Amino acid sequence: MLLRSAYAPLLSSAQRLSLSTVTNSLTHQQCPQPVRQNAPLLLELPKLPPASAYVHLPFCRKRCHYCDFPIIALGSSSSHDDDPRISSYVDTLCREITATKLPSSSSFPPLETVFLGGGTPSLVPPRLVSSVLDALSDKFGLCGDAEISMEMDPGTFNEAAMRELMSLGVNRVSLGVQSFQAELLRSCGRAHGVDEIFEAVEIVKTCGVENWSVDLISSLPHQTPAMWEESLQLTVAAGPTHVSVYDLQVEQDTKFGVLYTPGEFPLPSENQSADFYKMASTMLGNAGYEHYEISSYCKSGYRCKHNSTYWKNKPFYAFGLGSASHISGVRFSRPRRLKDYVNYVQDLENGAVDTRSDGIVENKDLAMDVTMLSLRTSDGLDLKSFREAFGDSILVSMLEVYRPYLESGLVICLDEQRRDVAADEVVVSSSLNEKLAYLRLSDPDGFLLSNELIALAFGVISP
Amino acid sequence: MAAAIPEFYPPKLVLAPKYLSHRSHATNLSSCSSYFSSTKPQFQLLRKNYSSAGEFRVLHNIKRHSLKVSCRATGAGVQPKGAPPSPAEIESAIRAGKDRLLKMTGTVETREMKEQFLDNMDLERERGITIKLQAARMRYVHNNEPYVLNLIDTPGHVDFSYEVSRSLAACEGALLVVDASQGVEAQTLANVYLALENNLEIIPVLNKIDLPGAEPERVCREIEEVVGLDCSDAIYCSAKEGIGITEILSAIVQKVPPPPDTAERPLRALIFDSYYDAYRGVIVYFRLIDGCIKRGDRILFMASGKDYYADEVGFLSPNQLQVDRLNAGEVGYLSASIRSVADARVGDTITHYSRKAEESLPGYKEVTPMVFCGLFPVDADQFHELRDALEKLQLNDSALKFEPETSSAMGFGFRCGFLGLLHMEIVQERLEREYNLSLITTAPSVVYRVTCTSGDIVECSNPSLLPEAGNRRLIEEPYVKIEMLTPKDYIGALMELAQDRRGEFKEIKFITEIRASLLYELPLAEMVGDFFDQLKSRSKGYASMEYSFIGYRESDLIKLDIQINGEPVEPLSTIVHKDKAYAVGRALTQKLKELIPRQMFKVPIQACIGAKVIASEALSAIRKDVLAKCYGGDISRKKKLLKKQAEGKKRMKAIGKVDVPQEAFMAVLKLEKEVL
Repeated sequence: MLLRSAYAPLLSSAQRLSLSTVTNSLTHQQCPQPVRQNAPLLLELPKLPPASAYVHLPFCRKRCHYCDFPIIALGSSSSHDDDPRISSYVDTLCREITATKLPSSSSFPPLETVFLGGGTPSLVPPRLVSSVLDALSDKFGLCGDAEISMEMDPGTFNEAAMRELMSLGVNRVSLGVQSFQAELLRSCGRAHGVDEIFEAVEIVKTCGVENWSVDLISSLPHQTPAMWEESLQLTVAAGPTHVSVYDLQVEQDTKFGVLYTPGEFPLPSENQSADFYKMASTMLGNAGYEHYEISSYCKSGYRCKHNSTYWKNKPFYAFGLGSASHISGVRFSRPRRLKDYVNYVQDLENGAVDTRSDGIVENKDLAMDVTMLSLRTSDGLDLKSFREAFGDSILVSMLEVYRPYLESGLVICLDEQRRDVAADEVVVSSSLNEKLAYLRLSDPDGFLLSNELIALAFGVISP
Repeated sequence: MAAAIPEFYPPKLVLAPKYLSHRSHATNLSSCSSYFSSTKPQFQLLRKNYSSAGEFRVLHNIKRHSLKVSCRATGAGVQPKGAPPSPAEIESAIRAGKDRLLKMTGTVETREMKEQFLDNMDLERERGITIKLQAARMRYVHNNEPYVLNLIDTPGHVDFSYEVSRSLAACEGALLVVDASQGVEAQTLANVYLALENNLEIIPVLNKIDLPGAEPERVCREIEEVVGLDCSDAIYCSAKEGIGITEILSAIVQKVPPPPDTAERPLRALIFDSYYDAYRGVIVYFRLIDGCIKRGDRILFMASGKDYYADEVGFLSPNQLQVDRLNAGEVGYLSASIRSVADARVGDTITHYSRKAEESLPGYKEVTPMVFCGLFPVDADQFHELRDALEKLQLNDSALKFEPETSSAMGFGFRCGFLGLLHMEIVQERLEREYNLSLITTAPSVVYRVTCTSGDIVECSNPSLLPEAGNRRLIEEPYVKIEMLTPKDYIGALMELAQDRRGEFKEIKFITEIRASLLYELPLAEMVGDFFDQLKSRSKGYASMEYSFIGYRESDLIKLDIQINGEPVEPLSTIVHKDKAYAVGRALTQKLKELIPRQMFKVPIQACIGAKVIASEALSAIRKDVLAKCYGGDISRKKKLLKKQAEGKKRMKAIGKVDVPQEAFMAVLKLEKEVL
């Protein structure tokens, strides 16, 4: 069982790759990343050729009440296998992939991670997923051990589809559970019930997907602590290798945005909502999950590699409606409306768009990106690289600003061995203690106030 | 025909003059206008002027505007000699009234006429008040004889009472203008008494007789009873409709005596206004009492001791018109490359350097600021601009005082002294409007006099500089006497107001069956703030008031400090009466709790007297501020939000580790309306 699941993705991707061009398959093996020795890592990293790709598959049966993503609602007809909206979108998507200009550097690595996000990617028939993966493989190449994640919603796939996807190389499943209470699923407009959740878990397990994640949302309207506890318990019982715990954000222009105000009934109070967050941290921690990012937990060795590229401010491609890429230090978002997106792809093919632009990114902005992203993780901010890239004084000021919070324990300094450095040893006679290696927010209190704390750092970086 | 010249003195504040020219003059008209736009919108006039003199000797409040008119006749081609001047107070539609007078006498061409001709500062037109004195010379032919009338329009507000008193002291006559629908008001009385004190010929005028509610007969009786003035010859007029204007002009010529001919005596001229002109230096407006002045004369300002050569002399018609010589009785202007109005203050006497007058004219005073506040630029970079702007305003306004002040919370700014609240408001508004500055104003305070245990007496206007409790023997605060005139229905409400403000009841008088006068003594600190607004709102706009400074009195005052998260916040310290400390402390801490955003830790907000905490609130800590949402690789929106959050923090002042928004420093100001 274990063996099979470990090998299956490799075999299947090899199979699939054998169908695609041979030239690319050669490039997977070596994944050398040219790093200029003299330039600070943090400044160079975003400019390296990307080894990750996000692909947006925007189709959903209906829009959930909290969702403000660019999606396309298909309606609730039973099968979407032959839906021309999907096939024509995938066609456009593949054209986008093919038309994308490669980074100017002569050698570029094959993809190490692919993330099929949505929307509900599991609504896309496997044969179309195959063509997307083929397009990626043809264009960039794909590492043999690449992590290929796919978001899948309960009730949108069966065992056969799962197996087919696995055979295409999908080796990580992110299951959109959100909640284990029927009334909550209904009230936030999910298209599935609780039974479908258990079925989906069963399928994933039966098919032997080794690396899979459960997505949960806390602070839903009418959610009680008992309900949240139950969801966490059932999640732990299902035994995924990864859990994503999102906190409901009430966005304007969503149904929830119209109906509810954060902190007010039926949404939980701020205190309640903070308690939900802490409960997740405690219960998942006790069940052996590592809280490695503000909203991500995993069993040892199962961090999401693709998402890690985000937190490390590494570059990545993105394809599809509304998706945001990060190439050569430039972040670019594609149009969120289908018509605009199709035009964009047309322009891209005509050479009218070039997302490779060597946009000049100010160091200040880069420092903000690095700070806001790395402080989301338990690894925290790598102080040595930060200092190398942005200088000593900014770091000293940042630590001065953080001093009260180092003292109160919201912020933690760590040495090379990741041992705590006491607050009063952080800055010694206005220069940094040489022992310092990392700065992180504490779990859960620091994470809970991450916006405030990161904003403080922003104030230092951009006074 | 000879004519005498009477004159009036108006108050300060600035304005560029714009006058039309004229040949002979015989009459001077001066009018006192007041501030605060009227409650009766159809007239757009002023509501109150109260002036205090203590430092300022007399107080008079003028409701609406008062017009003091003096006139004198001149024969054609003959320099004017004595003529009848008359100061008067026009109670109601003064704006319209002055415009009418100008039009009627052809002083201003119709095409140049706009409403409120003499109020040419935007601020004045907007508020319907006169901030800067204006003078206009008018020609009027009566019985085939030409007369020149000089109209001096002065602010009538209490803040400028000194200037008003100077202008009244110089008038030969005045118009007492009373609103025929409203009757005598507190300020009216004060100004009438001031006019009577100066032996002015008073011509009663009832304005607004066109109004349906006008009761001229009743108001006449009221004037006779209250003021004791014979109203059998009172003129009924409506400035709006143009009724009675000719009668007013004729009455001025007939009743107001011409000034005496004293051209042979040593020069004495009373300054009633001055303003700073960027090209010519200070322009001085004066009334010649004795002697004559010629272009090129070396002149001496007797109070300031400064001497200058008069580069230019002339009269106001109302535009400045140069002449070679002005004689006793005339109103004129001079420029002498004077650098600051402080050298040529209102009330000072001009004489010849070589032939000095023995005595200066009476009544000169150095004006002393009564109300103080801190002015800080919102943007610290504007500190130098603020200083430049204050210096420029001071060129024109010698009553404005300022010195640099540093506050831990607000950074660098100035502590400024003003004649009163209106003066403060105007300066502030002009700084913002004309100099494009964005300012934070601290709560206004008065000057306390502290006797230390060492026996030293310290004057203190800044609560944070008050000597330590242990070093104080006693604190005295300025007191004022206040007279409120009100329809009897509101007596209760006004007594309650005065009582709340630590007022000490002195007297109640029924001046007619339905109107009463209330006399109180209360601390100036209690007037500084919204007292006048309260008076108006509690009496539905019908009550009027005036006050005068009556000296310092010992009070049981304490310094109330505010601590945020254990850190004392100096700009929030206030000096309050002991009995009010608890209420103020409670209200202030509650207000601050509303205004200060929550922090990542619990923040105690305390009001203390010395080390003793008398009120306490706690700002609870933020529990959660996290974006735990799946947003893929799209960080742009998230980053924008965090940047905005960081920007928000920058706009606040850090008190210890607490971020306090600017509005919180204004809490004391806001508080007054609610608790005090």
